Amino acid sequence: MDSALEQSFVQQLQENQNLIHKICRLYTNSEDAHKDLFQEITIQLWKAFPQFRGDSKFTTWAYRVGLNTAITLYRKKSRTVNTVEFDSSLHRINQEEYNYEEEEHIKLLYQAVQQLNDIEKALVFMYLEDKDYNEIAETLGISEVNARVKMNRIKGKLKKILNP
Amino acid sequence: MDALDKLKSDWKKSEINYPRFSEKDIYAMLHKRSSSIVKWILILSIIEFAFWLGISFLLRDSPQSQHVNNFEAGYIVRILDYVNYVIVIVFVSIFYGNYRKIKVTDNAQVLMRNILKTKRAVTNYIITVLVYYFIGFAVLFTLYFLYDPQLVNTIHVYEENGDIMWFYCIYIGIALLITGIILGGFWLFYKLLYGLLLKRLHRNYEELKKLDL
Repeated sequence: MDSALEQSFVQQLQENQNLIHKICRLYTNSEDAHKDLFQEITIQLWKAFPQFRGDSKFTTWAYRVGLNTAITLYRKKSRTVNTVEFDSSLHRINQEEYNYEEEEHIKLLYQAVQQLNDIEKALVFMYLEDKDYNEIAETLGISEVNARVKMNRIKGKLKKILNP
Repeated sequence: MDALDKLKSDWKKSEINYPRFSEKDIYAMLHKRSSSIVKWILILSIIEFAFWLGISFLLRDSPQSQHVNNFEAGYIVRILDYVNYVIVIVFVSIFYGNYRKIKVTDNAQVLMRNILKTKRAVTNYIITVLVYYFIGFAVLFTLYFLYDPQLVNTIHVYEENGDIMWFYCIYIGIALLITGIILGGFWLFYKLLYGLLLKRLHRNYEELKKLDL
């Protein structure tokens, strides 16, 4: 493929890679799986890149491809090489900013989100990313009303997981 | 403040702690092989089309088939041959049309639906092929019964001995048993293969459809 196109893609992805990391964070729980999903999303983005016309933002476009890869295309590897909890390693560096109790609570919240199903995680992800319901509904292919109803149910479900 | 809003504030703060891949890392990733289920469906489908086409060539060139061709009604076998090619062309076209519709930039529900439709084209092809072979074998058996000099003689011998019902029972019984084993084997193989491959996709698609009711 065209190397200028490749360069433009790599540059944009490198600058906006955090959004892919965030998807990987919700859908994987080990460092290996995180990298594996990141790689698959990168490949899918690259395959779709020639059709990306730039009439929407790179990030808006990448959100959709990334989420679609995570919930539809990605085949989890059956072997789990590394089972180290990735989330805790992400938090370690920022430890001094939190007091212990709050950090524990945040950790529990992440664990609760990990228990949700793939579609619920997609909704949570877009909610955390401040997406409006119109965009959430359009990304998943459901109505806006149903997206709102589901979001409220997820909040209830999380509450139940946290306070059984 | 509910749980998600609390998480939201941390979500933004922890952004600085994500690993960072360099441009070189990303370049390397671009050239790695994808392991997406769409790619697996494509590979498996090509194997399936090739497998059945191979089987049809093998059967066509077999001595038994040449033997049947020499019967008075041998043209029926040639018609069956053409039907087979039409089936392959129709299903490969449907499969390819559906495959081309798979776009990772569509919304999740449409994407999932298109993937499942692509896979369904292959499943329908397999069902059609199995029905085709079932009919094909039935035709072959009948042709043998009617035209094969050796078999016609054998039938005469059984008829004279009064054992003809016994002979038919064994003949048809064996044919049904073999067909049953082959069909059952394929059914199991398919269930396992696609069941494993598409379990998650099916689950997520059902969940989305449920949301949209």
